Amino acid sequence: MSGNVSGAPAPEPIGRIPPYLRGSPNSAAPIETPHRDAGNTGEQLRQPADRSASLRPFVLTGGRVNAVDQEIDLETQVTLRPLDPAVGRMPFASLGPEMQAMVALCGEPISVAEISARLRLHLGVAKILVADLRVAGYLDVHVADTLTAPSSEIILRVMHGLRAIS
Amino acid sequence: MDSVRFPDTPALMTTDPPIRRPPVPVKMIVAGGFGVGKTTTVRSISEIAPLTTEAEMTAVSVGIDQPRAESLKTTTTVAMDFGCVTIDQSLKLYLFGTPGQDRFGFMWDSMVHGALGALVVVDSSRLDDCYQAVDYFEQAGLPFAVAVNMFDGRLAYDLSEVRWALAVGDRIPIVSFDARRRTSVRDALLVVLEQALNHAEQAQDG
Repeated sequence: MSGNVSGAPAPEPIGRIPPYLRGSPNSAAPIETPHRDAGNTGEQLRQPADRSASLRPFVLTGGRVNAVDQEIDLETQVTLRPLDPAVGRMPFASLGPEMQAMVALCGEPISVAEISARLRLHLGVAKILVADLRVAGYLDVHVADTLTAPSSEIILRVMHGLRAIS
Repeated sequence: MDSVRFPDTPALMTTDPPIRRPPVPVKMIVAGGFGVGKTTTVRSISEIAPLTTEAEMTAVSVGIDQPRAESLKTTTTVAMDFGCVTIDQSLKLYLFGTPGQDRFGFMWDSMVHGALGALVVVDSSRLDDCYQAVDYFEQAGLPFAVAVNMFDGRLAYDLSEVRWALAVGDRIPIVSFDARRRTSVRDALLVVLEQALNHAEQAQDG
């Protein structure tokens, strides 16, 4: 996703979007199914596509829609990082309620998808907050494990594990 | 923000519990059209009740008047069901049910990245729902198999007819299965993994 929220050129009026939903040029317009009206050209349809499809969930991230860590994946495992007194970390109370809840969930290794589902956070939001908590010193994000192409050894282990299911 | 939804956990902060090493996660995709049994498939094999996450995806609207495909790209938020199976202490399999919607072909790139393979679930009476998934996985080079869900234990068409209708090559396995039965789902996933294994071995040889 290459949605670029800021810096979009001031758009022409966008067809089919009610006036009360139109914000300033840089605020997100609601994304809709492209309409096939005669007046709609591809050019007009592209403009909403450049914006966040759903701004509201991203209020929690201060409007950021692209995770700092692009490599954070659905199945990426997240664990609590033990407190290192030498490094320290942001005070727990300074974290937002969503981030506090995230930290609470990570006592056991958990996937980003599961964090998103259990806290009812949009996946994109969950990814960004997980990355923030890594920076804040609370979480370890185990991205390296997800990056390698699946080897035949891994596939054989999964097959073996599945065969044990009855 | 509503604090009831996010109870405070001050106890957690005083002493950090010992951290268990996380498992290596692997994933498989369960794809198919609306209502073909993707969630049922995930539920049957998952050790947790399927969870739902909302994700953003790029969608390409599929239609007859498509003068410039590029111009019709849009992003949309979709609900995605998933479950998991603990394979052993250090390996965990995640199953993601991808949304299927009539007029959109999704760009599953981010989801498919690193996946072992995909199971395309098909309702034999509505074959056209799965064309996009089949096309996508063929182009992406992701190992996959087609699994025809037997509603009420019956198939509307036999598997050779399904193969003909989908125009998939002989290398792509087509099996019938019952999404409600755990062992049946297991066997269908094993067919995908056989494909994945062949794929991985070819890649290693090459």
